[in-house]
Amino acid sequence: MSIKPLSAEHGKFLQKERKYSFLVAVTQIGLLAIVLIVWELLARTGVIDSFISSSPSRIVKTIINTFKVGDLSKHIWISTYETIVGFAAGTLLGTLIAIIMWWSKFIKRVLEPYVVVLNSLPKIALGPIIIIWVGTGTESIIVMALLVSVVITTITMLSGFCQTNADKLLLFRTMNANKYQVFTKLVFPSNIPTLVASLKINVGMAWVGTIMGEYLNSKAGLGYLIVYGSQVFKLDLVMACTVILCLLAGVMYFLVALLEKTIIKWKE
Amino acid sequence: MDYTNSKSNKILIFENVCKTFYTKTEQTEAIRNLNFEVAKGEFVALLGPSGCGKTTILSLACGILAPNSGNITLCGNNDASTKNIGYMLQRDHLLEWRNIYRNIALGLEIQGKITTENTDRINTLLDKYGLKDFAKHYPNQLSGGMRQRVALIRTLALNPDMLLLDEPFSALDFQTRLKVCDDVYSIIKKEQKTTILVTHDISEALSMADRIIVLSHRPCVVKQEHITNMDSYATPLKRREHPTFAKQFDDIWQELNV
Repeated sequence: MSIKPLSAEHGKFLQKERKYSFLVAVTQIGLLAIVLIVWELLARTGVIDSFISSSPSRIVKTIINTFKVGDLSKHIWISTYETIVGFAAGTLLGTLIAIIMWWSKFIKRVLEPYVVVLNSLPKIALGPIIIIWVGTGTESIIVMALLVSVVITTITMLSGFCQTNADKLLLFRTMNANKYQVFTKLVFPSNIPTLVASLKINVGMAWVGTIMGEYLNSKAGLGYLIVYGSQVFKLDLVMACTVILCLLAGVMYFLVALLEKTIIKWKE
Repeated sequence: MDYTNSKSNKILIFENVCKTFYTKTEQTEAIRNLNFEVAKGEFVALLGPSGCGKTTILSLACGILAPNSGNITLCGNNDASTKNIGYMLQRDHLLEWRNIYRNIALGLEIQGKITTENTDRINTLLDKYGLKDFAKHYPNQLSGGMRQRVALIRTLALNPDMLLLDEPFSALDFQTRLKVCDDVYSIIKKEQKTTILVTHDISEALSMADRIIVLSHRPCVVKQEHITNMDSYATPLKRREHPTFAKQFDDIWQELNV
C-alpha cells in the first residue's frame, strides 16, 4: 500500500489520509477492547453476575475446553458445512429462477405474486413442514438455509436482469443477437455486481437459516450448542458459540468481498 | 455532388411509411406518410424537433420495428434479415467488462463471423485510427471522445452497407463534441460509408451532411429538403466557417419554426 507521493503537497495529503485510516482502525480496536475490559471488570468485581452474563475470560476458557474435551470443531464444521451448502444452493437456484423469469415474460408475470408472498413469509414458519417432509438432521437444515436465501436472490437478480440498459439491448438487436447471446454477452455479465451483492446478502441469510434450523431440531452444530447451553444454563457455552458464529460469518463475508475484487477487475 | 435523380443508386427508400404506437390508454401516431430516399455514398441528416420520431425512423430502417403501412426498401430488397446496417447510439455503450479489442469484435462474435479476414480487418482499423495501443485497455480508461471512436469502429467492424447515427454526440461536452464530430466525419469519409445522421442540432447537421431532411413535429412528415453544398470545405469544423453557413442555418431555423 505504498503509493509514491507525486509532490510534497500530495505527500502531505497522503499522510493525512493514512493518519485518518489509522485513527479509524485504532478506534475500532479500542472500542472492542473497552467493551471487553469493562465486561470483565464488572464480572470480576461482582457488579454483574457472571453466571448469567459470563465474561470474556470465561468465554475464552470455555472455547479452549470445549475444543480439548468436547467436540467443538465438529459442531463448527457441521454448521459451516450446512451454511455453505445452503448458501451455494440458494444462490444457484435463485439465479436460475431469475433467469427463467427473465427469459419468459409470461412466466415472470405468472410467478411474480407468488415470489412476493414467499418473500414476506417468515421462513421459520415452514420449519415443521420441512422436518416432516425432509426429515430431521443436516438435510432439513440445509433446506432451511436454502429457503431463506433463495427468494431474495431471485428478486435481487431478476430486478438486476430487468434493469439492463435499454440502449445496450437495442445495440445487441441491431447486431442480430439472439436471446441466448443477449443473456450471456450482455445481461449476465452486466449483472455480476448484482450477483456479488446478493452473495453478500446471502452469507447472512444462510447463517440465519442454519441457526434457525438447528434451533428447531438438531443433534449437532453451533445452533444446537446454543440451545443446549441455554437449557442447562451454561451461559459461557452460549456466549462462546455466539462469538464463534460472529467470527465465521465475518470470515465468509470477507471471502465474498475478496471474490468481488478478483472478479470485477474492470471496475478499477 | 448530385444525388437527386438516378434511381438505380438508391440504398434506402421510404415510401408512404406510417407508424403508430399503442399502449393500454393511448395511441401515438409517430410517423405519417413519410417519403424519402438515400443514395449510395450520401451523407444525409434527419433534422427535427425533439420527440418527432427520428429514432423511430432509424429503428424502421434497421428493421427493428415494422411499419403499420408503406414500404421500406433497402439495397433493393425487402428482406429484413439480410440488412447489414451499423447503428451508433447517443452513448458509446461499450461493455465495461470487455477490453477495447473485444468490444470492437462484439458484432462479429455475435454473428459468428470471427474469421482471419475479419480479425485482420479489425487490426487494420485499430491501427489506422490510433487505437492499437489501447486494444488491451478497458473502456473506463479512455476519454469520452476516444470511447465514441471505439463505438464507431465497433460499428465499422461489421462492414455495414449503411451507417445510422442516432444523435451520436449529444452525450459529449461542446468542445469534445466538435472534435469527435470531425473525427467521426473523417473516418466515415475514408471508409466511404452511406450515412444517416439523426439530430436536432442544426449546425451539426449543416456541418456534416450533404443533404438535410427537415422533419415536422409528430406525426412526423418531411417539411423540406435542403442541399448543403459545402463540399469544398473538408471538415465539419471548417464548414462552420463557410460563407453560406449562417444563411443556411437561418433558413432551416425559419423552416423548423413554421
